[in-house]
Amino acid sequence: MKGKKIVLMLLVVIMVMSLFVGCADNTVKSDAAENTEKKETETAADSEEMNPKIKEMETILMNQLDPMPEIGKGENVGVLIISLTNPFWVNMKDKYEKAAENLGITVEVLSAPTEGDTVSQLETLDGMAVKDYDSIILSPIDGNNLIPGIIRANQANIPVINLGPGVNKKALEEQDGHLDGIITVDFMNQGKMVAEDMLNYITDGGKVAIIQGLAGAGQSEGRTNGAKEVFENTEGIELVSIQPGDWDRNKAYEITTGLIQAHPDLKGIFACNDVMALAAVEALEVAGLNDQVVVYGVDFTGEAQESISAGKLDGSITYSPSVYTKAGLLLALKISQGQDITEPVYCPLAIVNKDNVNEFNGWE
Amino acid sequence: MSMVCTSDEFVYLENISKSFGKLEALKNVSLKLERNKITSLVGDNGSGKSTLIKVLSGSLKPNNGTIHINGKAYKHLTPKIANENGISTVYQDLSLDNYKDAVGNIFLGKEVTKFGFILNYNEMQKQTEKLLEKLEIDIPYLRTPVGYLSGGQRQSVAIARSIFQGKKLIIFDEPTAAMGLKESIAANKLIKSLPSKGFTVLMISHDLNQVFDIADRIFVMRNGEIIKDAVKSDITLTELKAGISEIY
Amino acid sequence: MKIINRFVRNDEGVDRSFAQAFLFFVLILLVAFLTSKSPFFFTWNNIRNILDNTSLQLILAIGMTFVISSGGIDLSIGSVVALSGIAIGLMLNAGVPIIVAAMMGVLLGGVLGAFNGFLISEFKIASFVVTIGSMSLYRGISLVITKGQPIYGFPSGFTFFGKGNLGEINPPIVIATLMVILAFLLFKYTKYGQYTLSIGGNEEALRRVGVNIKFYKSSIYVFSGICAGIVGLILTSRLNAAEPNAGFMLETNIIAAVILGGTSMNGGRASLSGTVIACILLSVVRNGLTIMSISSYYQQLFIGFIILLSVSISEIRQRRQLQIN
Repeated sequence: MKGKKIVLMLLVVIMVMSLFVGCADNTVKSDAAENTEKKETETAADSEEMNPKIKEMETILMNQLDPMPEIGKGENVGVLIISLTNPFWVNMKDKYEKAAENLGITVEVLSAPTEGDTVSQLETLDGMAVKDYDSIILSPIDGNNLIPGIIRANQANIPVINLGPGVNKKALEEQDGHLDGIITVDFMNQGKMVAEDMLNYITDGGKVAIIQGLAGAGQSEGRTNGAKEVFENTEGIELVSIQPGDWDRNKAYEITTGLIQAHPDLKGIFACNDVMALAAVEALEVAGLNDQVVVYGVDFTGEAQESISAGKLDGSITYSPSVYTKAGLLLALKISQGQDITEPVYCPLAIVNKDNVNEFNGWE
Repeated sequence: MSMVCTSDEFVYLENISKSFGKLEALKNVSLKLERNKITSLVGDNGSGKSTLIKVLSGSLKPNNGTIHINGKAYKHLTPKIANENGISTVYQDLSLDNYKDAVGNIFLGKEVTKFGFILNYNEMQKQTEKLLEKLEIDIPYLRTPVGYLSGGQRQSVAIARSIFQGKKLIIFDEPTAAMGLKESIAANKLIKSLPSKGFTVLMISHDLNQVFDIADRIFVMRNGEIIKDAVKSDITLTELKAGISEIY
Repeated sequence: MKIINRFVRNDEGVDRSFAQAFLFFVLILLVAFLTSKSPFFFTWNNIRNILDNTSLQLILAIGMTFVISSGGIDLSIGSVVALSGIAIGLMLNAGVPIIVAAMMGVLLGGVLGAFNGFLISEFKIASFVVTIGSMSLYRGISLVITKGQPIYGFPSGFTFFGKGNLGEINPPIVIATLMVILAFLLFKYTKYGQYTLSIGGNEEALRRVGVNIKFYKSSIYVFSGICAGIVGLILTSRLNAAEPNAGFMLETNIIAAVILGGTSMNGGRASLSGTVIACILLSVVRNGLTIMSISSYYQQLFIGFIILLSVSISEIRQRRQLQIN
């Protein structure tokens, strides 16, 4: 009896351990396997002509980053993203890894387990700060949650680059912490551009609504404020509701059903990301109001692209994640090689809608 | 039938009525419990005996009637008042915290403390041992959670608690219903010994043999009324059984 | 004839120490494994990280151990963390002295807990229902007050609670340690702790012996609220900002840790040492995955796996020996 128990216990422990070992090994192996595979597809993709829009964006960004750092010195860059439960960040991870390979450096992309888990994201950064990265690129869940970890990295003399959602710089500086570089998208401008494009399709005025992300998150607030400004300053447009969808597909779906109950004559919905916009499209489809309501999202995910091509979703706004991540890594290299970049680098933006979606084939 | 509370009587329930909506659970029931005697309530399910016990333990308020305890009159009781007057009930479920040991259960709610807040386990254990010895109760594992003990041992713990917590009237609700033969003999023996140690007992039971074995006085209830009142010395078991089968 | 056996077996004791020993064993192996795999793991800096991160979870888990061992659950703690943090932030910005603001914030946690406790004990509503409501209510208040924006710009001394240096360790570690000692004393040596367990073990029994259940039951939630208030203080101090989203979904991690530690969801039993080991173990898992650069996907998988495994093992053993009801 007792012997049996001990055997059982050992078995269990071995299983637990092997899970750890197993997944550790897996990542290494699959990385290696992918790398060789990727190289082939990558070179194949390179030889195909790059999407002209991407090329254009890359040129704009690379000009901002001039002079270029030395490439291919095998630096090790740690990247902390928000969560792998969001396709946008999954794609970003992918692009980081591709860009790193092209630049001849190593990159390790980590994240919080779920999108709202601010504490875990900080813990992850704390862990990264004790490792030997040449620099860390991070995208915080909200403005403040990573501040103590950034300070830890500062103390460990690891340069920190903030990509995307902004760190609360004032709060950081109050605690004698600093960022070594910033590369970002102007969220307010995203909101503005989307709202302006939406108005091209809502020609005779009417009611519009905004579905926000997680209240308090920088992307969400910026996009909302930008769109709000445009809507409120346009004659004939009435902004009837701003609801927090928390980046959640289901919440956005429910909000949309509620919105069309309350405002059957609704003309437009701006959702702060594509996941929520697609949910809105689903809800409108059920209500048969797809043609009446113009829906725009943000991010231009693969799913959004299909939906726009199929004539369901009306539009989105994007930048090129591959250009963005490449620029992030280049910025990281420049800084770890001792160049100073104090001004934020802005990623160029592009509106995608029904009329130009074909130009975005092969977008990455 | 006019009754007066004398010093021999610990509790006198006078004209107690209780109804739940249209259902009259107790109809003008009067009942005396004599000091240091075992009184038993017999009756079918729904006869009102459980309701009566609940009135006496303070968990139900009667609609009418008076409860006299030691000469004091109450319109209704609360668990706290019942407690203060030395009434305690050993429920069928025994009301034990299965995760606590015998000592913890016996002292539940009346813990001994040092400086008014630090629990004094040694003292509680000593007192428990003394008490169990006095009552001739055998609980082999004092520091084992009572969930591990047998039904009879658990019952002993519940009785010991009632006695320990300074109770004078101990009400038993079907004390041996869930027990094996050997255990119920031991439990009956313990209950039977209580009057000689200065306790008054009220017992509900289905088991006429048990009732006849240990009770001094037997009340038979039906439909919320007491329909038979027998002193054991005046009646035989056969007569009691015959009387009840006649009624039902 | 009487036999009184003073020194007796205590099956339950054996059982619980088995569950804890198992967890401890897993923890040791994990530490050994991570140490051998990465030079960054077993460094003082990293250990300090782990302890620092453990302490926040641990303080909440202590409150949760009381709640769960009383047969209840408190889903509102994450929201209480946010709201008390915001209250502290607002007070600091209004010029209230640091120490007063800190104490008021912790106290507010207690008040929010008292509100839960009042509804649960007075109206006999299930704790799950009450706290799922107040979770939303308190989060909503936080968002409304702040309009979704973080509050920051506090006086410089305030960061002491979260990040000050006491020799080589930080105040949160000290606070968590003190809380563990306090909880141990409460459970072992006070009526408060014993009644908490009895409310979980058999509430009716306790009511029948004349104990004021409402008082004790509410106070359990006050205690949990105070723990959340303390974490609100530490988190706000550590981030030097009060965020309406602070502690979002934190309760699930905390409940997981308490269950993993061996405290039964049915109430009646608490395993404080199990809670401590489980909190450390979960922190080490999270840290280890980061150190090993393993995707966050595996974090959930791994934690879920350990919890189900550990809980199943101890339940099976429990069931075999204890036939209750």
